[in-house]
Amino acid sequence: MDASVTTRKQGPDARAETLVSSYERAGYARVAPAMLQPAEPFLDLSGEDIRRRMYLTTAPDGDEFCLRPDLTIPVSRDYLASSAAGKAAGFCYLGPVFRHRTDGPAEFLQAGIESFGRSDKAAADAEMLSLGLEATAHYGVASPDIQIGDVALFASLVAALDLPPAWKRRLIKDFNRKSNLAQDLDRLVLGGNNARPEYQGVLAALAGSDPKGAHALITDLLSIAGINAVGGRSVGEIAGRFLEQSALGASARLPCDVRDLIERFLAIQDNPDGAAATLRALAKDASMTSALAPALDQFESRTGFLEARGVDVKRVRFSTAFGRGFDYYTGLVFELTDPKRTGDPLVAGGRYDDLLARLGASDPIPAVGFAVWIERLAIYGGAP
Amino acid sequence: MSGPLIVAVPAKGRLQENAEAFFMRAGLPLIKPRGARDYRGAVAGLDDVEVAYLSASEITTQLAAGAVHLGVTGEDLVREMISDADKRVVLIEGLGFGFANVVVAVPQAWIDVRTMADVDDVATAFRHHHDRKMRVATKYINLTREFFSSHGVIDYRIVESSGATEGAPAAGTAEMIVDITTSGATLAANGLKVVEDGTILRSQANLVAARNAAWGKAERDLARVILDRVAAQARARAFREVRARFAAGTDMLVENARQKFAVEAPFGVPSSSGMLILHCPPDQVYALTNYLRENGAEAVAVADLDYVFSRDNPLYTKLEAGL
Repeated sequence: MDASVTTRKQGPDARAETLVSSYERAGYARVAPAMLQPAEPFLDLSGEDIRRRMYLTTAPDGDEFCLRPDLTIPVSRDYLASSAAGKAAGFCYLGPVFRHRTDGPAEFLQAGIESFGRSDKAAADAEMLSLGLEATAHYGVASPDIQIGDVALFASLVAALDLPPAWKRRLIKDFNRKSNLAQDLDRLVLGGNNARPEYQGVLAALAGSDPKGAHALITDLLSIAGINAVGGRSVGEIAGRFLEQSALGASARLPCDVRDLIERFLAIQDNPDGAAATLRALAKDASMTSALAPALDQFESRTGFLEARGVDVKRVRFSTAFGRGFDYYTGLVFELTDPKRTGDPLVAGGRYDDLLARLGASDPIPAVGFAVWIERLAIYGGAP
Repeated sequence: MSGPLIVAVPAKGRLQENAEAFFMRAGLPLIKPRGARDYRGAVAGLDDVEVAYLSASEITTQLAAGAVHLGVTGEDLVREMISDADKRVVLIEGLGFGFANVVVAVPQAWIDVRTMADVDDVATAFRHHHDRKMRVATKYINLTREFFSSHGVIDYRIVESSGATEGAPAAGTAEMIVDITTSGATLAANGLKVVEDGTILRSQANLVAARNAAWGKAERDLARVILDRVAAQARARAFREVRARFAAGTDMLVENARQKFAVEAPFGVPSSSGMLILHCPPDQVYALTNYLRENGAEAVAVADLDYVFSRDNPLYTKLEAGL
């Protein structure tokens, strides 16, 4: 029998119910989104890679549905569809999610919290981490490893770099994709100019010319050649990127000093206070003090709120390179793991201020939350 | 209890003709005792072998399920349709027909796109410009996902396409495609070009074995006979026989020829008669004949081989290792 269709033998998990009740008492309304969800938002936000882990089905009219692979997107969608949309609101949940896994049943329980619309972001971040710690403590994992990162810091660094837009786009994308950017930096440094060798002369000639005129020239040349836009990219867009490559020109390699700066930045691993001091010093060296100030202020303020909530921040491991592989995170990211077992998170979450806009909200709505792996905690934590 | 050994063969078109010709060359003519319209056949001279005529994609699913023992199908279908393909089937041998490449193709108008790195960058930029992800039309959903993932491309969506995929960009239902091509002519006719490092798979028809099929002693024995013949034919196809006669000792000569021309000496070095028989890859034949003549051969005869049976049965060994 396929392991993915075995039934859970125990009834509703009493311990998990107690945990979620405590979240309700803390002011988070309990919600139970539909099991069957439209597939589109998950594929769009998490990428095609999630498709192989999803349980998909097609309605008679061709619309794709899936068994919910997580609860963040369903809770967010229900919030947006409700009258509370745009206002501050917090929700908690407990229920099954469905993902194909080779190492366990496809149906498993997740609890969690989503907090929307709070503008006191640092305080909200700290509250999430502290509520996540309550979950592990509730299951007897009293001192989990606390790993945190902050996507906003890397985004500020890249924004402040003196680089063409193409490089910035790639750096951000690569950072979001994996927690280790090192090998990508190699690729970026070696990568360089991808234009056809036979175009190099033209590109070099265009490099110094008036951008508007060059753009018009390329557009005209494409239409003279009878090449129409095929697919969704306009001729203007194609010309634009063609010229962007010419702008990269000789500097098609990531400059060495920039690479050194990024590597120094991404090497920072420390407790939050130590890391903040190192980051301030780095910002000063790179003459980026004001560019990095907002993200760093937010970071330090968050650390303060964590201390105020009784979190021993000396135990928190911060790493500039730590990300969670989804590009909708915009600030804090965190994972709690069992120090006796490596790898799998017991609790994981972060801030995703772009998510609701990408789900259709007209204005950006701050959002932060986390999910708890109930079965994993029950095993790792042991009997109550 | 053991049933017949079931061999699945494509039921129509060029693939069927090629598969039948292949088995014929291997001395295993496929017959349809109950008439040409029957979808069940047999192999002349081999009792207890049943030939099932199915579509190539059905052959692939049946192999994955272990419902047939052996089958002829394209590697593209095996890689696309069977997850963890190597755990469920054994690709025994490429058959030298049904060649097709699975490639990434973009509009020719994309003069700024040459490599997958460009595709990656364009995809990310596209999302910023249009607030939606670039669409890739394909029927190879799994191959596309794995290949794009290996190149770090994440800002795209797959649009499933079951036919005329190359028309999708012109029809406005996708920006680019992943599809099979043999010459690239159809792509070019639709204003598309292949991305330089965008060849996902070089596919051809393969003889494939199902690891989950019922492999009793009877089935194994039948498979051994079939694979012995296939191997003898395949080996014969890969070599020409080159014969020459030498007066003096030729140990060094054979060793040199082995290294220079990748020849094999199936019967060892010459006997007292001085006859030397070598098996040589076709593209090296002329160079080898020159070499032999320079070193004392009066005449060199070259001939095609029909079968080369060897004591070991490499294809069966491969199958057995996978079961």
